[in-house]
Amino acid sequence: MSEIRTYRRPMGRWWTKNPTYRRYMAREASSFLLFAYALTLLYGLWRLSQGQAAYEGWLAWLASPFAIFLHLLMLLGMIVHTVTWFEVAPKTMPKTGLPERAITLGGVAAAAFASLVVVALAAWWGTSR
Amino acid sequence: MVGDLAMKRSNEPFFWLLFGAGGMVAALIGAGLVLTTGLLGPLGATRAMDYARAYAFAAHPLGKLVLFGVVALILWHSVHRMGEVLHDAAHVSAAIPLRVVAALATVACGWLLLSI
Repeated sequence: MSEIRTYRRPMGRWWTKNPTYRRYMAREASSFLLFAYALTLLYGLWRLSQGQAAYEGWLAWLASPFAIFLHLLMLLGMIVHTVTWFEVAPKTMPKTGLPERAITLGGVAAAAFASLVVVALAAWWGTSR
Repeated sequence: MVGDLAMKRSNEPFFWLLFGAGGMVAALIGAGLVLTTGLLGPLGATRAMDYARAYAFAAHPLGKLVLFGVVALILWHSVHRMGEVLHDAAHVSAAIPLRVVAALATVACGWLLLSI
């Protein structure tokens, strides 16, 4: 008996095949940058718990060209995450009657405002006492 | 039979809740956080990350809550997506190991914050 050969659609690198798949992958791939950021913060907490010298070593690493490059990438990843998150939101949340575009724009505007508040709070914390 | 089916409740909604909460936190303040802790702080634009201030922040109960929420929720959000993308793009099933990593990191984060 010979082996039955059926056509199998090739699935290698399918995500490069059309713009929708590429967008999907950009959204999902941003999660690796978010993961790296969370681990960076966790590592910083560990150094902080070890005292001033250890913490300042971590701060010095953060100021290195590699770390700055990494954080620029992470910032890009966060922005991709924010935009795609609010693009998906109108499809996953209960119907509001608002146009999807309005929900996306409102979400991104809220995120821009909230992020500015974080930066402002940090600036205030940096000048306190 | 009916009883058996009812017992087999999926635990997915729990992980999806963490995924959703972490996704929302990252979407709203992620960019501001990376800008602050990764660029403005280390480059000296703000003194918010000096040892004394960082320590005071992590020592305050509210600061602990913020740090724990940010680190743990972004972790749980990202491991959920990483599991999916590894499955889709590389045909690798990594969901369970990734959840173990997230759980260990969450415990470590809580333990570190309590020790500060």
